[in-house]
Amino acid sequence: MLTESTVTFIALGAIFAFSFYAVLNAGQLSLGQAGFASVAAYTSVLLAPDPDVVGDLAALLIALVIGMTAGTVAAVVLGLPTMHLRGVFLAIATLGFAEAVRIFLLNAEWTGGAQGLSVPKIVTPAIAWVVLAIVAYWFWRSGPTRYGRALEAIREDELAAGAMGIDVGRHRLGAFATAGAVAGLYGVLWAYTVRLVAPADFGFTAAIDGLVTAMVGGTTMFVGPVVGSAFLTVIPEIQRALGVEAGWIRPFVAGLLLLVVILFLPGGLAGRIPRRIRVPDLDGRGSGSGSDDGGSSDDGADLRTREHAPRGDVVARLSGLSKDYGGVHAVRGVDLEVRSGELLGLIGPNGAGKTTLVNMLSGLVAPSSGTASVLGVTAGRAPVHRVAAAGVSRTFQHSKLFDRLSALENVLVGGHLVTRPTLLRRLLWLPSARRDEQAALTHAARCLRRVGMLEAATTRAGALSYGDQRRLEIARALAADPSLLILDEPAAGMNQVEAGELAHLIRSLADDGLAVLLIEHNVGLVRQVCDRVVVLNFGEVIATGAPSDVAADPRVVEAYLGTEA
Amino acid sequence: MQQLLNGLFIGSIYALFAVGFALVFGILDRLNLAHPAVFAASAFIGIELVTVGGLPFWAALPAVAVVGALLGLIVERVAFRPLKGRADAHFAGLISSIAVAGMLIALLQWRYGAETRRFPADTFPAVRFDVLGAQVTLLQVVIVGICLTLVVGLTWLVARSRLGRGMRAVAENPTAARVLGVNVDRVTATTFAISAALGAVAGALFAMNVNSAQLGMGSAIELKGLAVIVVGGMGSLPGALVGGILLGVAEVFAVQYLGSAWRDLIAFALLFGILLLRPQGLFGGRRARQV
Repeated sequence: MLTESTVTFIALGAIFAFSFYAVLNAGQLSLGQAGFASVAAYTSVLLAPDPDVVGDLAALLIALVIGMTAGTVAAVVLGLPTMHLRGVFLAIATLGFAEAVRIFLLNAEWTGGAQGLSVPKIVTPAIAWVVLAIVAYWFWRSGPTRYGRALEAIREDELAAGAMGIDVGRHRLGAFATAGAVAGLYGVLWAYTVRLVAPADFGFTAAIDGLVTAMVGGTTMFVGPVVGSAFLTVIPEIQRALGVEAGWIRPFVAGLLLLVVILFLPGGLAGRIPRRIRVPDLDGRGSGSGSDDGGSSDDGADLRTREHAPRGDVVARLSGLSKDYGGVHAVRGVDLEVRSGELLGLIGPNGAGKTTLVNMLSGLVAPSSGTASVLGVTAGRAPVHRVAAAGVSRTFQHSKLFDRLSALENVLVGGHLVTRPTLLRRLLWLPSARRDEQAALTHAARCLRRVGMLEAATTRAGALSYGDQRRLEIARALAADPSLLILDEPAAGMNQVEAGELAHLIRSLADDGLAVLLIEHNVGLVRQVCDRVVVLNFGEVIATGAPSDVAADPRVVEAYLGTEA
Repeated sequence: MQQLLNGLFIGSIYALFAVGFALVFGILDRLNLAHPAVFAASAFIGIELVTVGGLPFWAALPAVAVVGALLGLIVERVAFRPLKGRADAHFAGLISSIAVAGMLIALLQWRYGAETRRFPADTFPAVRFDVLGAQVTLLQVVIVGICLTLVVGLTWLVARSRLGRGMRAVAENPTAARVLGVNVDRVTATTFAISAALGAVAGALFAMNVNSAQLGMGSAIELKGLAVIVVGGMGSLPGALVGGILLGVAEVFAVQYLGSAWRDLIAFALLFGILLLRPQGLFGGRRARQV
């Protein structure tokens, strides 16, 4: 049943599926891979030397390098203009590219049209599997690195990933280029296996097959594409062995199995394999000790450290900051300074413009007029990840956690800015990469412990209780070692006891020298912890001062309770 | 003039097909890739109804629409409803609808074999007119008429009727719609049924127009349908109509001036240009990103 060609095709299918996995793992759906593969196959067949002259293996190796390069170039050329597209739009645009390439190849003179070009058969099962092993190795080693986690974070929540300092555009383009390179490998291998490059092999059906293989195998585990390809290649073989010959039964059963896998095995076949993650043992005292809240900024020598502004320095200065949505003035001419070591409360009725204000401050929303200069960058003009890199870290009013990642992994992503890239060193098994990964893990575990959530380190973020999700968001924001921490309603949905613990935590952060901007509806909490309070109503600052003064201000009382009639 | 009219005829079929895509995408935010399979299936079923069942063309079309609606209900039940609430519902819905499409095509192959089927020659009277110096057949006029009526009727339905209000409520926010007493499951199923019924009529008309039905006819029009909804604006019904006719006309002119080999490139050039310059499409509103 497992003939030589079946074995080869399992490997080829898996390699092609990896080119889909490369982008799906980062949350993008591209259907252009067949186009990359055909560009690569034709380029290498035309440019590679004759096997009779340089030998089979040498010719194939050269062809593979050419193909990989051509695939990458094609992916980058397509990726640059289409990177702003999302979801199905990206899928359709890339599909359109692949079809355009196919039609072009079909009609050009030098490609041999529909007949294609004939190619010597060089690829043996062994060669195909060696290439597959190399591709799988790349994805295996890159998974648990800073780069791999950044891609997963982008898949789960692009906005939050940007706020953690991840350059979303560059990472997405990187994933796209990887897809192009792998698809290029596939195109060349395919040509040297079936002895032919013809446009028909790189059509819409091929793209769908690759996507289906990747989805069936699972897009969150690196073995997924291999499992998917084995499953889908072997099914027709089994049917043939069972003597099922009727033309329609085979595609019907294949469709049925595909449906069953998608409906009943979310995450694909490989999604059954549990993800392992080790929680580091902090100071040999075992996990679960939440009492020790030693400074999280002091995390050993292996992390990049940030220079924090001395206590009392201005970290953010807003002048005349305004934001209009159509005719609605969400924020109007706000002037404000935030200093290191200060815990500034921002309160105001619903719709007062608090969230819009902090969105401008963290660079997510560009102001209509006025400027916000934060830690040396101009928010709104600099991209979100640049603002984060300057030292602004935040939580969101509605939790934006990376739901399918564990709590610890969420915090690891938060540490993106202070940890080192380990991808290249991990590919080479350098011991320093292991040390750096260990340091990142320890740092993340400390941040978790600081918010008292170390016990939940391996729990999926989406499965945590609401209060725990809020605390996890704070841990994730802390992991970036920020100079300015923005907390958008952290106590929402917490009970009295939890809110009390939270107040204690927030106070201790400011005492460590951080600037903390706290948006909160729980006025009791704000009065208890804040040094200074700013009250916003209808987008304007109506009062600023010590918590007790502000609470007594008649305009504030009016804003909250209305005027006495 | 002749070219313009020819483009209009083929374009109106594209539009009718694409409207089905756009309806499901606009309301449920899902691409239903089983739509082309329904398109193909209904062409074969239409031919069988006429040849074996002896129905006249006029009676066969509504029958095909009913069959299409049933297929749409099955697609929704099997491929989309079980995925409700899953984090990866977007991608999974694509795959499950591809799976259902594969099964549907396999069943067609079982029932009708792999050969090309045709409507009998006398299904439709071969009447021709001269319009401004161009040749037009009665069939073409009827096709444009049916397509326009259905698309305009659907637009009215979505904009004005109680069902349409339910659809728009579900599109806006399914949870809120449910709280307000909209039966979300029923609205969803109805949307699929209407979408598939339109695709089915498009399939029968297409088979009539080119006088053949093949198993692969769905995949051939699938990419064009996708191009049309992108050009028109995902989920926009008038956009799908204008986009379809635009594509039909562009193709006909491409054949005349560039040669028939390049016809299929037009759809993708159009698609790409629109995506780069105006990603929301000609008629699509830009959706605000939520923070």
